[in-house]
Amino acid sequence: MLKIKNLKATINEKLILKGLDLNINPGEVHAIMGPNGSGKSTLANVLSGKNGYEIEGEISFNGMDLNDLKIEERAQKGIFLAFQYPLEIPGVNTNNFLRTSLNSVRKARGEKELDTLTFLKLIKEKAKELNIDEKFLSRQLNVGFSGGEKKKNEILQMKLLEPKLSILDETDSGLDIDALRIVADGVNSYKNKENAFLIITHYQRLLDYIKPDFIHVLSAGKIVKTGNADLGEQLEKTGYAKLS
Amino acid sequence: MKQNYDFDIEKIKNLSHEEKVFRKKNLDLFYESGFPSKQVEDWKFTDLNLILNKNFNNISNEVNFESSEEFKAIDNFEHNFIFLTNGKIISTNFDHEEKSKILVKDFNQEEVINIDPSNALALLNSALSSGGFSLEITKDYKLKKPLIVYNCFSQDLKNKILNNKNSIKLNEGSELTLIDYSDNNTQSNFIKNTVDTVTLDKNAVLKNILIQNSKNNGHFYKYTRGSLEGGSSYENYILSSGLKLNKIEIEINLNKENSSCDIYSALNLLEDQHQEIKTRINHNSPNCKSYQKIKNVLSDKSKGIYQGKIFVEKIAQKTDAYQISKALIVSDNAEFDAKPELEIYADDVKCSHGSTSGSIDSDAVHYLMTRGIPKEEAIKLLINGFLNEALEKITNNELKIFLEKILERQINGH
Repeated sequence: MLKIKNLKATINEKLILKGLDLNINPGEVHAIMGPNGSGKSTLANVLSGKNGYEIEGEISFNGMDLNDLKIEERAQKGIFLAFQYPLEIPGVNTNNFLRTSLNSVRKARGEKELDTLTFLKLIKEKAKELNIDEKFLSRQLNVGFSGGEKKKNEILQMKLLEPKLSILDETDSGLDIDALRIVADGVNSYKNKENAFLIITHYQRLLDYIKPDFIHVLSAGKIVKTGNADLGEQLEKTGYAKLS
Repeated sequence: MKQNYDFDIEKIKNLSHEEKVFRKKNLDLFYESGFPSKQVEDWKFTDLNLILNKNFNNISNEVNFESSEEFKAIDNFEHNFIFLTNGKIISTNFDHEEKSKILVKDFNQEEVINIDPSNALALLNSALSSGGFSLEITKDYKLKKPLIVYNCFSQDLKNKILNNKNSIKLNEGSELTLIDYSDNNTQSNFIKNTVDTVTLDKNAVLKNILIQNSKNNGHFYKYTRGSLEGGSSYENYILSSGLKLNKIEIEINLNKENSSCDIYSALNLLEDQHQEIKTRINHNSPNCKSYQKIKNVLSDKSKGIYQGKIFVEKIAQKTDAYQISKALIVSDNAEFDAKPELEIYADDVKCSHGSTSGSIDSDAVHYLMTRGIPKEEAIKLLINGFLNEALEKITNNELKIFLEKILERQINGH
């Protein structure tokens, strides 16, 4: 599904990713762990198409060259990034945003756009699964939401847009244990043979709830070690220092 | 510069001799200065003389009032209406109301309104006005549905100036939502110069909403003067995007205690559109409140202006006055000017003002795009979010939905 070969990314003349290789197949859950400044968020940003990065190397997603796709096209074709810091957007109603988003994606996929009523029914259902109070949906997007509410809102968007590849960038940060469980349940219930996850995290914590098939350790812009779920526990004990 | 107009009082029908004399006097006063240029302080951001010279040839006041247009009221929104062509009443409909509580008639042009002689356009209006309505709501009557005043225009207005006077009087305890709806599908450039007088008696409530339904070449000036008695409330919502030139001047006199005035604007200016909002709120009595929130989105080569003055008399203690203007500047060639002014003679007041301008938040655009929303649409969503705030105080759901739709259409460039 996702094939990254010798990826280098530079921002403000600083080389952050220094030749990264990664293959993700449908049905797999990959975790990327690593210390601060290793390039984890840069990888997420580059995959989402954020401006400002100079990119070398190959990234292909379901046979398409990702570099040829605009930001919104990546989302339409099935890449979803759950932000580490979801933005607060004053004035923009959450429901209205979610409907515009879903309909943009549906339109691009050649599906029928949903009218307001059908959409509201759908979103209420999905919100309920994630234990999100309906009232949040009529509020301004993320404005005044707690850290946990923002992250739940990201997972709600993921479940709504039904991406093939979901990238979760430090989704566990700022979550209390209950919210963490809800988010993890949200991910686990969406997981199937067709889709894949890339979970970027600092700590083992989230991986206790979402079991990865592979754990990669990112250090100084390169993957320095790859292992199975046990690697996370090992890292928790020994820290990253020994690996780099 | 050569004189670019040809005004003739004889072209106004049915005037008495006295009236002609009165009008002639005002016209002479207008001729002394002509259309204001930017040298006039009140017009420093809108050089009307220059703009008119550029876009008009030999402006004349000869106007027909015959309605040729087939009139069509807005669907799916229950309302009363007054239908005007070139400012003159063609028909009215108050089927939702007790008709005896509402008085509508042609404006009596002999009614003299005292206007600041330094306001050249008001002088011109006094000299040339024809058309306009006067509306009065009887004591304690609260209209069940909004009133839309449809302003329609004939197709033959090229290089013409329309001068209308309207009067709106709400007696004690009455309430009205009045939507001034310009239904302008003529592409000819013409000038509309309107003077509105608003009188609110004790505890009366007026919501006054200004809407342009299409993009057009109109050059509009509107002067509204309101006098408020105790406990009355005036709310103004300005959604007039679409005009080539628009200047809205509002003077509100809070004459008695506990009266209040709110002015909100949500403008999305495109191309070379130019809109100015100039307000003067006179706190003439203690314990009055005024609140102004002016929001502009400026694209292309458009220009937005806000000149807002809060004047607090010595006796107007416990005044609570606030004004803020916020501009979102989308293009490097667009411009926004703000001139806030506070003039305060009382010593126990709460007055503040602020002005900000900024550009579209690129991180917010990115966030929306990662959700599959194309850039242009993402920007529109943000603009809508920015302007929608101007409707925050509207609690009537039907009205809110109606105005949100209008705003959305204006954001899409009509």
